[in-house]
Amino acid sequence: MTASATAGLAQGLAAAVDQLRHITVQVRTRGAATGAGILWDRGLVITNAHVIRGDRATIELSDGTVARARLVARDSKRDLAALELELGRPVAGAVVRDSPPLRVGEMVIAIGHPGGLVGAATLGIIHRAEGEREGRPPRWIRADLRLAPGFSGGPLADTAGRLVGVNTMVQGGLALAIPAVAVAAWLQRSHAMAVA
Amino acid sequence: MTTALQSLSNELADAVESAGRAVVSIHARRRIPASGVHWRPGVVVATHHTINRDENITVTLPDGTTTPATLAGRDPGTDLAVLKLAGQSAPTANRRTDTPPKVGELVIALGRPGPSLTASWGVVSRVDGPWRTWQGAEIDSLLRLDLAIYDGFSGGPLIDATGRVLGINTSALARGVPVTIPVATVERVVTELLERGNIRRAYLGISTQPVRVPESLARKLELKSDVALLIVSLESGGPADRDGLLLGDVLLELDGAAVNDPGDILAKLGGDRVGKPLAVRVIRGGQVTTLQVTPGERPTSRAA
Repeated sequence: MTASATAGLAQGLAAAVDQLRHITVQVRTRGAATGAGILWDRGLVITNAHVIRGDRATIELSDGTVARARLVARDSKRDLAALELELGRPVAGAVVRDSPPLRVGEMVIAIGHPGGLVGAATLGIIHRAEGEREGRPPRWIRADLRLAPGFSGGPLADTAGRLVGVNTMVQGGLALAIPAVAVAAWLQRSHAMAVA
Repeated sequence: MTTALQSLSNELADAVESAGRAVVSIHARRRIPASGVHWRPGVVVATHHTINRDENITVTLPDGTTTPATLAGRDPGTDLAVLKLAGQSAPTANRRTDTPPKVGELVIALGRPGPSLTASWGVVSRVDGPWRTWQGAEIDSLLRLDLAIYDGFSGGPLIDATGRVLGINTSALARGVPVTIPVATVERVVTELLERGNIRRAYLGISTQPVRVPESLARKLELKSDVALLIVSLESGGPADRDGLLLGDVLLELDGAAVNDPGDILAKLGGDRVGKPLAVRVIRGGQVTTLQVTPGERPTSRAA
């Protein structure tokens, strides 16, 4: 690879990380930083259920804006929570990748706040492609990616900056993320019920 | 617009997809299946330590079909095993033999510990010359990796960023550190296992320990080195016993070369030495004596 190609690669990675940081938020519940979250559309923040205690949280956006948020949906079994930002202005949400399906070996980027380090990035590849079973999206995305506490609830994205999953846990060294398409489906079911 | 980062990501996924067509899953142990590589038509290479039985082995191909396999042979020394499949038309591994891997090169380890292909990435962390495994087998070059090991790592291929195979991965040769057995070694072992079913290695039937020869004796005997190998055990009826070596003899030279380390003996005992006499210089009773010893063929899992 030529020097300019390598430089282009490095710049591309930095640009993708910068873009992802804008959709990544810090989640604090009862004054303590508990994890990361993702800006979704319609003023929603998606994170893991294990990141949220109670039914309120404080959200800090990447530009430093701090806002209160109210829990609107929670599924402990699926480890998902949706919060509504009380911000009074619209914020841009993540772009979800609906297709094509993830490929084994494809590069993915995770953003989180490990040990108070805000907006940290880590790079990995898809470890295993999970096929759709009976039309339902796969349960987990498995990535060869080093996650640490503080990444929970944050985004896993492809190299084009599109959201592919919610980083949730580490199993046998592998990063496990809930597929973004599964989050969208869950949101449609549960959010509709909660708000109506 | 596609950025350089997206192109790299696509190319890595392409490399995984093309190389993955030759990665199979082997059912020869409890719990999770082992990985293997379709190396030559109808010939699958795997790791010895993940093949726990010699019979009732089946192989699941990338297209999902399962077919019976027979064990052609195994070599604990290099941790390789070879299986044969009947009438295979599936793709075989595309091996890279023109340029050796470099330190820092981006590599991917593939596996198939079940129906789906798995991948982990990292870099080659160390490249060195020939080395000898703890069971005495020579491996053409040392290839250590900086990557995470998951289920299915051993027996899978290490591939470069274009999908060409650099060797077979194993975690059993260097205390859990991921290493790759290079293509040249795999080829050599596969050929011999297909021909003979095992790897021929010569052996003497002795165990030795390095000892320091007293300075006065070394001077008197005009020795080049003051470290030699004391024979601490001798297999009864083994080649060394039969040809007159004794417990307590101190080995100075084997086939004209000084021996200071038990590994020096192993280095002289390749498969081609079976049945060919070697000159052995020893200190016995304060005097230097030369004997002729004819190595035998080493039974499996026996020391030098």
